[in-house]
Amino acid sequence: MSDPSFIEEIKKMPGGGNILDCIQCGICAGSCHARFAMDYSPMQVLKMAHLGLKKEVLSSSTIWICASCYTCASRCPRGLNIPAIMSGFKNMAMKSNVPAPIALKPKFHKTFTEIVQKYGRMHEPELQVKLTEKTDVGALMHNASLGLRMLRKGKISLQASKLNPETHFTEIVKNVLKEEAPKK
Amino acid sequence: MKQPKIGVYICHCGGNISDTVDVAKVKEAILKCKGVEICETYEYMCSKPGQDMIERNIKERGLNRVVVASCSPRMHLDTFRGAAKRAELNPYLLEMANIREQCSWVHDNKESATDKATSLIRGLAERVKYLEPLETKTMPVNRDVAVIGGGIAGVLASIELADKGYKVYLIERNPSIGGHMAQLSKTFPTLDCSACILTPKMVYVSQNPNIEIVDMAEPTAVNGSPGNYELTLKIRPRYVDKEKCISCGECAKVCPSKKWSRHEEGLTQEKAIYLPFKQAVPNAYVIDRDQCLWFNKGVCKVCEKFCKGKAIKFDQREETRQLNVGAIVACTGYQQLDPSISKEVLDGWDVFSQYSFGLHPDVVTNLQFERLMLQGMHRPSNGKPPKKVAFVLCVGSRMDRGIQYCCKIGCMNAIKHSLLLLKAFPEAEPWVFYTDIRAHGKGYEEFYSKARDHNVKFIRGRVAEVVPNGDDLILRAEDTILGKHIEEHFDMVVLSPALLPNSGTGQLAKMLGIDLGPDNFFLERHHKLRPVDTKMEGIYLAGCAVGPKDIRETTVETMATASKVATFLGKGEISLSPEKAHIIPEKCNNCGECVKYCPYKAIESTSKGIAINSISCTGCGICIPKCPTEAIDLKQSTDAELTAQIQGTCEGDGDKPRILAFLEKTTAYGSADLAGQTRIQYTPDVRIIAVPSAGRVGLKHVLTAFASGADGLIFIEGDDSPFREDGVRDHVNSMKKELGKFGVESLRLVSMTTTLPQFDKVVNLFQTFDERVTKMGRIAPEKRKKILEALGGGK
Repeated sequence: MSDPSFIEEIKKMPGGGNILDCIQCGICAGSCHARFAMDYSPMQVLKMAHLGLKKEVLSSSTIWICASCYTCASRCPRGLNIPAIMSGFKNMAMKSNVPAPIALKPKFHKTFTEIVQKYGRMHEPELQVKLTEKTDVGALMHNASLGLRMLRKGKISLQASKLNPETHFTEIVKNVLKEEAPKK
Repeated sequence: MKQPKIGVYICHCGGNISDTVDVAKVKEAILKCKGVEICETYEYMCSKPGQDMIERNIKERGLNRVVVASCSPRMHLDTFRGAAKRAELNPYLLEMANIREQCSWVHDNKESATDKATSLIRGLAERVKYLEPLETKTMPVNRDVAVIGGGIAGVLASIELADKGYKVYLIERNPSIGGHMAQLSKTFPTLDCSACILTPKMVYVSQNPNIEIVDMAEPTAVNGSPGNYELTLKIRPRYVDKEKCISCGECAKVCPSKKWSRHEEGLTQEKAIYLPFKQAVPNAYVIDRDQCLWFNKGVCKVCEKFCKGKAIKFDQREETRQLNVGAIVACTGYQQLDPSISKEVLDGWDVFSQYSFGLHPDVVTNLQFERLMLQGMHRPSNGKPPKKVAFVLCVGSRMDRGIQYCCKIGCMNAIKHSLLLLKAFPEAEPWVFYTDIRAHGKGYEEFYSKARDHNVKFIRGRVAEVVPNGDDLILRAEDTILGKHIEEHFDMVVLSPALLPNSGTGQLAKMLGIDLGPDNFFLERHHKLRPVDTKMEGIYLAGCAVGPKDIRETTVETMATASKVATFLGKGEISLSPEKAHIIPEKCNNCGECVKYCPYKAIESTSKGIAINSISCTGCGICIPKCPTEAIDLKQSTDAELTAQIQGTCEGDGDKPRILAFLEKTTAYGSADLAGQTRIQYTPDVRIIAVPSAGRVGLKHVLTAFASGADGLIFIEGDDSPFREDGVRDHVNSMKKELGKFGVESLRLVSMTTTLPQFDKVVNLFQTFDERVTKMGRIAPEKRKKILEALGGGK
């Protein structure tokens, strides 16, 4: 089912203005380091977007696997900002509650964002705990040993850092969330 | 002038005019104008009875000026001037008022259309009082031709012109003619041997008494005018006497200094003293000064000792030579983009370093592949035959940020190379990676089919990267048709780099006074109708210097160029329109401002003063308002004529604003005519005056218009005028600044450029500007009086 307003939505996304310039050359797909893990190549996702296939795009694993390495964008002959477009699709998928083929991915982004909104900074131990299923002993063990090493090297701390209140960060976040909330 | 006796003829045009314009009323009004001896209306002025009436009146009533108010002058000016000529009245003393395309066809209100027609005719009636009789002149031309660039285009152009009887100077900056075609092995799609079709032409050129090859030469200056150009050349020393050299090669055998061969695209080396290639014309050796031990260290000169013909001349100097020619052909060809890991980073994105050119000897360009074919195909790394070869298309091409255009020959070359590779090594595996296969020419699709039949692998996907992998190379791409990632090993990777204009194209364009297009190739005069002409008369183009193309297209184009040159020079003289600018010596103070502004380099500052070359001058008039002492005037658009027309057109009362639109007389005026043909309606407040260029109208005329009753002025220039968009804008802005002194708002002036078919844009401007000026209201009479006083009390 083709959604003709999909293109207009994409054009409004940051980096999505020139999506129709894509000539489907495939250099993005050829360059993508994570392509092997994707169900659709980046080029195919752009093609589906051209055709208004919103459901297919937002339910692809591609948009979640994109690591924003920018190799594709640096080679794209039409100057498409593919990582930004993928990012936009991630947001669209989460907002419209389209289930992701890799359940962990949207959960990761959501949890990450919540933690940053809370502290103004990332707190890796909390992220790790919230993401790992409590029944997944193997993952817990692996992460614990990694976590200890990082802790020893001072890369992470058990306590979350406190933000300087003068930045008014939490107020800013509150205002943004209020504005972005669906209007009644 | 002596007593003007003006005949005004108003055409009904079979109702096209008279159904809307009350011609009887107009006649009545015009008869009241001073100087009008007779005013007639008639059904069809362009018919025989109509023209006879004009002739009769001129003879019997002694008319010395004629205004025909009818259709557009672009229709019938020559027709009516023919009638004047027959009546022995100088044709330049007859002009037309456009009351059809620019009046009756575009206004439906009879009263306003009639009023506007009267104003337009009155303007012409005032203008013609100042017209002078003019004569077209003829000027003898030099029948020699300079062809700059000795590649296939230059070679063929020289042959065509020599065969037509012209003397040709074939100017080439390298030691041999032949260009890139001399580097090719076989040509597509026929697989003709390139040298076999090129070298006979090269030899013919060297033997034809009408052609003189000037090698090692580059232009440094171009002066003069169309039909009489002076081309100054800088000729670099060869350090070898061409006449004495017998190409025995003994010198090269003993030369101790080596360098990378340009002809071999840097694949092999040659000596500092070298023959460009075996079939070089002129066939003589040359010393590369930068590599020669004598010039760098003051030692050696061994070649001189071994030269049998005593041809080596270390004391040769750079020379200057001046050529006098009637026409110039610029066919300087192309260069390939260097796909090396370059310092050149386009907009922060490195666009071809991912192909590893320069990091591994087996990554080559398609031109290098040609040389490898001729050397006996082998891998540069180990000299062994290549088995698996990848052809990568569109390297640096078809990029929005970078080189946008297609190289046009990449696809066909890759197909050709695949087939040639298979011919040499039937076990080889050519893979062609493409985004589109462009097989556009005669026999090309069939050639592509042949490659398919021979099992050449075609993968649709722009190559992502080529990575050196020790002995071989890894190529990564997506097969977009299968949606599958490809990672393959290859013995050799052949890149198709983008094509660029040859080095020095920009400087040559400046020297010749011609433009470059947005792709930086030479700009042709018109994309469809004048593809080998340039902005400058007498200067023509051919070959890849205009844009990438294959050899067949170059040949066809070059024939056209030679034909154009022959048309230009063929009669031995060119006729010159008298509608040119000239200096008024008493007023000129030699400041030289005008020299800077002429887009055709037609004004020169000489020891005798400022002079306008009447051949190069195209009569645009852009120089005129730039002169601080009003020392320039233009025939058939003199200051007096323009002023009188402005005053005549603005006369009259009423509360509707009067807007004068100065339209450049070819494209912009043509656009307004086109509007009329479609019968699109617009406000009759706008009255159009044709000018050679919007740049001809100066502050003086602007103030005259406001003093005479105008409330707003429009300037429209054709977009093919040398006065580009920013030129018109700057010109109008400079005049806007001066209006403040008189309390006239700068918004009462507006400018635009247009193409011929964009008449809707023109009409839209008329309408919106009229709304703006109506809102601002008419200019107060006191202000007009103040301006009139400033102008000197009015004429």
